[in-house]
Amino acid sequence: MRILRMSKQALSAMAENKTRTFLMMLGVIIGVATLTVIASAVLGARAEVMSKVEKWGLDQISVMAGAGRKPGVPQTVPTTLKVEDAQAMLSEIANIKDVSPQINRRDFPVKYGSKTSYGVLIAANPNWVSVWSTPPETGRFFHEEDTGKLARVAVIGMTVQKDLFQDEDPIGKQILLGNNPFDVIGVLEARGTAATGVDMDSRVIIPLSTGLKRVFNQDYLFMIKTVLHDSSKMPQTVDDVRGLLRERHNLKPGIEDDFTIVTPTQVMNIASKLSTTFSLFLILVTVISLVVGGIVIANIMFIAVNDRQAEIGIRRAVGARQRDILVQFLIEAVSVAAIGGLLGVVLGLIGLKALSGFMKLPTAIMWQPIVLALLSAIIVGLMAGIQPAKKAANLNPIEALR
Amino acid sequence: MIEVSNLSKTFQKDDIEVQVLRDVSLTIREGEFVSIMAPSGMGKSTLLNILGCLDKSTEGTYVLDGFPVHDMDDDELSRTRNEKIGFVFQSFHLLPRMTAWENVILPLVYSDNEFNMKERAVQVLTTVGLADRVDHLPRELSGGQQQRVAIARALVNNPRIILADEPTGNLDSTSGEEVIKIFRELHAGGVTLIVVTHDMEVALQTDRIIQMKDGRISSDLLTASQSEEAPQ
Repeated sequence: MRILRMSKQALSAMAENKTRTFLMMLGVIIGVATLTVIASAVLGARAEVMSKVEKWGLDQISVMAGAGRKPGVPQTVPTTLKVEDAQAMLSEIANIKDVSPQINRRDFPVKYGSKTSYGVLIAANPNWVSVWSTPPETGRFFHEEDTGKLARVAVIGMTVQKDLFQDEDPIGKQILLGNNPFDVIGVLEARGTAATGVDMDSRVIIPLSTGLKRVFNQDYLFMIKTVLHDSSKMPQTVDDVRGLLRERHNLKPGIEDDFTIVTPTQVMNIASKLSTTFSLFLILVTVISLVVGGIVIANIMFIAVNDRQAEIGIRRAVGARQRDILVQFLIEAVSVAAIGGLLGVVLGLIGLKALSGFMKLPTAIMWQPIVLALLSAIIVGLMAGIQPAKKAANLNPIEALR
Repeated sequence: MIEVSNLSKTFQKDDIEVQVLRDVSLTIREGEFVSIMAPSGMGKSTLLNILGCLDKSTEGTYVLDGFPVHDMDDDELSRTRNEKIGFVFQSFHLLPRMTAWENVILPLVYSDNEFNMKERAVQVLTTVGLADRVDHLPRELSGGQQQRVAIARALVNNPRIILADEPTGNLDSTSGEEVIKIFRELHAGGVTLIVVTHDMEVALQTDRIIQMKDGRISSDLLTASQSEEAPQ
């Protein structure tokens, strides 16, 4: 096969001048390496966010008390979200399957003997377990019974257990929440760190009724988390919830909500906005280095065409057609770029390994970014090679042999 | 074999037209051993380039082996060079980073003849006496040996014509004689040879000497080694 023989010629021409070939590859290597890192990091981050969101629940929405943080306006404690709102949502909106009204308080001191741990204190109903799908690992969660009699019972997270009890069995021990003694009745399954960096195991759950009356002494909630029957009707349900709460809170048209509705899509958007900014910057770097890589290839090819005029003349004299010369130089350019691309992918994967090791960056090694990287390298090679190759093909063989 | 009639070649240099060949007519029969002699710049290289299908004439016709070269496009010219013509140059024109046999197979890369490349290269290198230099690089060979590699390259695809441009110009007399000896052997084997030279000693070893002056053929003579009547 003529094309095979010509490819062999092109490849041996590359092998003959290793320094030049390596210099040609350099830009592509760097470009493809960054591309591999970026694509894998972005895909990894996306997968991480998706898994976090899935854990959080795609069929859930949350109502937070207050309109959200606004610049320049002093933050007041929102007091309008009530337990009755939660009951109304459950009974009046058909798509809502379950509600978990709760009070969350950060950095709450939890004491046992002389030791203190600061965690999130959550006052919630027994259905908190199913809504947050976080069952106790040892002991039990509290029941309606406990809620009814305002029992001083607490279920703690793994971090709290480690801080206060080390190897001791916490079940049945008494801890102090503020100045209130509570009996530990269970320890929750480990949940790890959230995307926001919050330790999800540093928390203590107590019955909502007990929390309202005995610990916080308030009648308003921090949030209501809801589970939907049908997640495809989420936008409609969000509207229903907003309408219902505005009505119950007597908000006239024109006055803004005194609550905030958070949906999984919003959570995803926040997370992806961050990675979009980051990846836009890196994509710019990639494009620039690939363009520079292409320019380097084109320039060195032009120099090579000048240096190799005699060779081109000889090849033409022994019967190479113009397109044979064109193809040979194109094969050279594309092979250089493709090999550079392969090296770039390898370098990128090594870099990725280092990144995920040092920076705890979530990464995913997938075939799509690798194929994308190689493909763009080949395109760069073609674009960079075409002009020099044309120049080589159009050389007058007599001039070239002189 | 070669029929050239009323060939003219004009070069455009800046705004001046330079006529290098004027109305050249020439017939070379199969198996002839011809030398073309002329002082430098008198059109002999241009004539060789046109006969070698590397260049086209401005006017006139050139029929090679029955095919009208003057009507060919670049692809057909390339194919003709590949199949029918072998070039030998004054400065050898070997690819410096390739071994002797890799240089020799170069025409086969662009040929439809499916030879076993290395086998064929060794075969041809043996006929020029370089069987023991197959894997040498050009710089490891003497000038004479390099020129013999170039001859092997010219022969590898079994051409009908060998065109040599000052083949002994860069060689000492011993190496030069060896090259001419190989040419005579090829001639004996029936290959048509055309040698451009300004060396009368070389020319006298061919059968027919064509002399050129000012772009025209000034004389066309048979040498002593040829008793036959000159064609045309």
